[in-house]
Amino acid sequence: MAKRYLILEDGSAYAGEGFGAGATTSGEVISNLNLLGYQETITDQIYHNQIIVFAQPAIGNVGINHDSYESILPTAKGMVVRDVTNISTNRLSRLSLDEFLQQHNIPGISGIDTRHLIRKLRQLDGPMKGSIVDVADAHAFDQLNATVLTNRQVDQVATPKPYPNPDTGKNVVVIDFGLKHGILRQLSERRCNVTVLPWTASAQDVLNLDPDGVLLSTGPGSPLDLGDAVLEMIRTVQAEIPLFAIGLGHELFALANGAELKMLPVEYHGSGHPIRRIVTNDIIYATQGQGYAVVAKSIDRDRLITTYVDLINGTVQGLRHRDFPAFSVQFFADGAPGPHESRDLFDEFMEAMTAREG
Amino acid sequence: MVKVVVDAMAMQRALTRITYEIIERNKGVDDLVILGIKTRGVYLARRIASRLQQLENVTVPVGDLDITPYRDDIDHDAQTEPEVTAANIDFSVEGKKVILVDDVLYTGRTIRAAMSAIMDLGRPKSINLAVLVDRGHRELPIRADFVGKNIPSSQRERIKVSVSEIDDRDAVEIQQA
Amino acid sequence: MPSLNDIQKVLIIGGGPTEIGHETELDSATVQIMTEFKKHGVRTLVIDNNPFSVALEEIQPTNMYVQAVTTENVRHIIEKDQPDAILPSLGGLLGIQIAQELIEDGDIGRFGVTVLGMAPATLRQINNPAALNATLKEIQEPIIEAQVVSTTDEAMGMVEAIGFPLIVKPVSPRVDTNRTICENVDDMLTALNQGFQQSRFDQCSLERSVVGYKEVEMVAVRDVADTKILICGLENIDPIGIHSGDSIVVTPPQTLNDREYQDLRDATFRIATELGIVGVLHLHFALNPANQHFYVTKIAPYFTRGVALAARTTGYPIALVVGALLLGQRLVDVKLPSGYVKQTAIMEPMVDHVGVRIPLWPFQEVPDADQHLDTVMKAVGSTIGLGRLVEEALLKSVRSSQFSPRDVLPSVSNLTDGEMIRQLIHPLANRILVLIEALRRGYSPAELSELTKIDNFYFVKLQHLLLIEQAIKDHPLDVDVLLRARYFGFGDGMIARIWQTDTAKIRQLLADARIAPTYKMIEPTAGEFPEKTSGFYSTFEYENESQSLGERTALVLGRGGNQLGPNSAAEYFTTEMLKQLKRAGYHTILMNTNPNAVAIAPEFSDKQYVDPIQLGDVLNVIHVEHPDIVIVPGNRHYLTRELSKLDINLHVLPPDQETDQPAPEMATIGVSLFVHNQHKLAVGVMDMIAPGMNKSLSQVTAFRMPAELPRSRRTNLVEQAKQAVSERQVTGMIQVLFAPKPDSDSHQLTVVGVRPSRLTEMAFLSKVTGVNWVRMLTRQHIGTLDDAELSAIKVDIHSNRVALMNAAFPFRQLHVLNRPGTTDQEVGATIAFGSSEALTLTNLSDTDELDRIINRTI
Repeated sequence: MAKRYLILEDGSAYAGEGFGAGATTSGEVISNLNLLGYQETITDQIYHNQIIVFAQPAIGNVGINHDSYESILPTAKGMVVRDVTNISTNRLSRLSLDEFLQQHNIPGISGIDTRHLIRKLRQLDGPMKGSIVDVADAHAFDQLNATVLTNRQVDQVATPKPYPNPDTGKNVVVIDFGLKHGILRQLSERRCNVTVLPWTASAQDVLNLDPDGVLLSTGPGSPLDLGDAVLEMIRTVQAEIPLFAIGLGHELFALANGAELKMLPVEYHGSGHPIRRIVTNDIIYATQGQGYAVVAKSIDRDRLITTYVDLINGTVQGLRHRDFPAFSVQFFADGAPGPHESRDLFDEFMEAMTAREG
Repeated sequence: MVKVVVDAMAMQRALTRITYEIIERNKGVDDLVILGIKTRGVYLARRIASRLQQLENVTVPVGDLDITPYRDDIDHDAQTEPEVTAANIDFSVEGKKVILVDDVLYTGRTIRAAMSAIMDLGRPKSINLAVLVDRGHRELPIRADFVGKNIPSSQRERIKVSVSEIDDRDAVEIQQA
Repeated sequence: MPSLNDIQKVLIIGGGPTEIGHETELDSATVQIMTEFKKHGVRTLVIDNNPFSVALEEIQPTNMYVQAVTTENVRHIIEKDQPDAILPSLGGLLGIQIAQELIEDGDIGRFGVTVLGMAPATLRQINNPAALNATLKEIQEPIIEAQVVSTTDEAMGMVEAIGFPLIVKPVSPRVDTNRTICENVDDMLTALNQGFQQSRFDQCSLERSVVGYKEVEMVAVRDVADTKILICGLENIDPIGIHSGDSIVVTPPQTLNDREYQDLRDATFRIATELGIVGVLHLHFALNPANQHFYVTKIAPYFTRGVALAARTTGYPIALVVGALLLGQRLVDVKLPSGYVKQTAIMEPMVDHVGVRIPLWPFQEVPDADQHLDTVMKAVGSTIGLGRLVEEALLKSVRSSQFSPRDVLPSVSNLTDGEMIRQLIHPLANRILVLIEALRRGYSPAELSELTKIDNFYFVKLQHLLLIEQAIKDHPLDVDVLLRARYFGFGDGMIARIWQTDTAKIRQLLADARIAPTYKMIEPTAGEFPEKTSGFYSTFEYENESQSLGERTALVLGRGGNQLGPNSAAEYFTTEMLKQLKRAGYHTILMNTNPNAVAIAPEFSDKQYVDPIQLGDVLNVIHVEHPDIVIVPGNRHYLTRELSKLDINLHVLPPDQETDQPAPEMATIGVSLFVHNQHKLAVGVMDMIAPGMNKSLSQVTAFRMPAELPRSRRTNLVEQAKQAVSERQVTGMIQVLFAPKPDSDSHQLTVVGVRPSRLTEMAFLSKVTGVNWVRMLTRQHIGTLDDAELSAIKVDIHSNRVALMNAAFPFRQLHVLNRPGTTDQEVGATIAFGSSEALTLTNLSDTDELDRIINRTI
């Protein structure tokens, strides 16, 4: 294992051991607090161009398995961990985390005091860029400072063409902003006949498929970078078809209906926050991964109802349209990784579609 | 043979969805009142009111109607027509949008009796019907505006709704007679 | 469920004497819950007859019932005192059973008492496999179908359907037994006969065996509003087939993927909701590694060792939170002490470190016990290691479990290959050493995993440790290797031994290279929030989170883990001592690795270090804290010796139980004196009773006070004792031993020895006289004992209220011959009070009689 460094734009450098690919990469450094699920995390497209610091100290223990991919071609820029174990648990014993990362040219660095990093990163009030490099010299820092964090992220990870996920049940159109497969799995479990459309699809494209329901997926980056056409599409579709939006989808749903967004000082990725479901006044836990939040005060109460709230940081976690069966949640309803109680929302979506028919 | 067709979580979701649909349909909660029928309809009515309270921070008045039990066994030709025996409604229905709530919608006769009773009390602006279960077999031209779940059933079957307030759990079960 | 206002008075059913299966964790939880109840203005009554209970020190005499914890006694208290509620879950399985009996007898209904934590309907099902399985089946939780039988014939009829291996479990056993694995009909018949006897209903359940499956435990809390939080998962390294108390446990689970973990979490929550549990729930699951199917194997909605481990390793204050939840408060409203960030109670813990718990064994003291590990628990205690790597946590816990003075691990290299393989398949205690040895001898992780059913991952980790060990051997005095070794958990002593040098040299090398441990805070948010909790562990990383606590600090070294002997009493001693130090204005720091210790609960000390209590680690803590006083327990001779070489204010407490003088062969009377300057305060005159035939001092395990003698004789003995003490340089809590003069008749007593009072007797004296002698002794050591105050203490050594303390032994639980035990075999004790008639001496030499008297109904 070669000696490598994680350098940050504040000038600090941390020595560790490289694993995975030997690539030199740069990206925004993000803390992930989830207890388990490194495979789901590293393959989730919301981490596009990001370097992920894992709170979980021992990574790689269960290799790479079939059911935990949240995308086929991960686009994260690195894993920063305390300890990595190279174990392969699949049938042919040929896929450890190390091998997987090499296949996708993603570097990892271990031996880092991730707790210290996470404690440091939580105090920031803006994104922090970092690089995984072989040598922590002036040149490396220069390169890092010159790196610009992209804002074309959805384009880079979302599907450019429609594709199906056939089944025999309800017809659902999924608008892909870089979706996580957990969403497809939940729909599949409910026998939905899914068509995935690129995010640039127009309302007419959607309606032409005569769907029973429409789902706006998760994805990386800021919804403010995506222009107004998609908001127009949402406004048209929500009035005709039951709509369910998650993560980035939720943020777009909010924007489309007149709310504003704010950038969080620190992105939050974890599943320990209690979230209040307002309608029944009970508390659930769900996996969250957000860099933006809806500004509560900007919600037009004639159009939107707030349905979920994070009790720790007060952020809006769910919305529903007053006039249409259209609802959204900021957290990952499919829970991969993370708590499953929010999967109920997919049942809600199904029931909304059923009610529509009757 | 007993089969659970709606479990506790599904019942919660159904009531939640009905609540949202009420908001959608009525463009808000102004002038809304809720009336529950018989025992279980009342608990469901209260749960819907509670949800409205949570979402809109408005207390929607809830009343109830006591109707002679409708014996829903196989041969119901020999039944008497249900009628309202008591109405515990301490507000006026004049000009209000009434949401009538029952647990199971079957022949429709109970609802007819309820509607008569309501209209005897005043002239509501509208009456909408919300039921947890619609089991078909209507004998009168009555339909529900908000339905938790459609459960097509044969007349030989019995549909049993349990609510945790008085039964030991939330569930809807079908029993073969 | 009651609301906060309805409950004014609660009766807590205590755990009784410590034994195999429960140590001091119940006492620890009780104290914390009492604190929480007090905050809400609830009056607590406690029934317990454990003389080493700290909980009994925390309440007023009017609220304590020092009686045997039996259904009859509890019933009488309910009748007399009319509590609003009873809390059975702090009494472990015994508490639950008593509550069950009270429900069945109708007492709960008749007296209108609420059972806190769960409804009577649920309570009836606990520990009743058939009833529980029926409930689980209804909510579609996967269970291992158990068939209940009342006769061996019925059982024979089921054998074909179930198949071997199968498991026999007594239905509602009177004691906490576990399942018995039967490979064939003979095994089954034996187990059935034993099981029918143990069952309250003369029934047993039979089920398919899941031996070899992975065992994972989950600990959760739930409130009245059905909000549930998973505190943590505990993965047993040892598979099903070895009692979880005898297994090495890792948290968080290391070999589960997210989906498996969440499935177990879901099941835990569904069960908590279905059973209507309010408070804590601890479940056991068996996971089939081949297909990830799981089964629920045990449901424990009460305080257990697993719950204590969850609290210690996550930093989530389970007992405090549960106290509030039991009174009907919602998780979202629970307020925690000021060190916790405001909403900690309602956040699901995220953990960024690894904890390993390793069992401690009674075999040194009870060598005739069978050391094979199976489904009946044999471990008498446990110790934990915390770190940021699995290797580190494993190695730290193993080091703490060996109690090796120089911090080295014993070798099993003299095992023959055949013997070693046998032990791999039929594990004995200390099997971790055998696993390491097998790797050393070239077995591959895959092979060993197949043989032992332990996940391959752990062998990979152990193998890694061996690689590092080899590197240490190959590069003596190499600083890089040294850092790597410390990084992965090797202790100074181990490295010194390999390099054939001393700890001082190792420390010198580390100091020169500026390598010092970094301490991390044990908190439940993985660094997301600036918690200020009080627990820390060491690791070797970049950032150190522990700063010196400040001025006037006392560092107290704990015992490390429960073992046979006076350990529960030592635990009591340490806790009382900490309280006293606090009163004297010290900030207290405790170093301990016993997850069940009462003292380690945050309320008793200002700061805790969970690190091996070995020289190197202790010196590291001293280096950070610069304590004004360091207190080391008397049984750590090497440590004491090494620490006294330094310039620190060192005290030995609890006092060393060994003295230079040879012990007398026997003593029948003990006179306890507190000696301070000129004062010799008479504390008590007690009968020293050795139940059974052979009379020797080491078998004196029962005490009666006042001794059954005429007053004048007692007074006379006190004088003799004072005389004996003046002739020697002794101070503190002293016991003067008397025995009948050998040549004359047995009425003539003479002094045969003078020794520091034993810990068990000190606890006894405190409970009986109402004066806390541990605190007195502590005060003497730190110099805050006032002569005048001492003179003012009046102890009535002729009291009409007689007290009897009797040690408890683990023989029955270890399935060895029940016989009079020796003091180093004690696992706990009971105490009873009564009139002198009830507790007369002639009866008390008989062990059965002793038991009966102790357990009598008041």
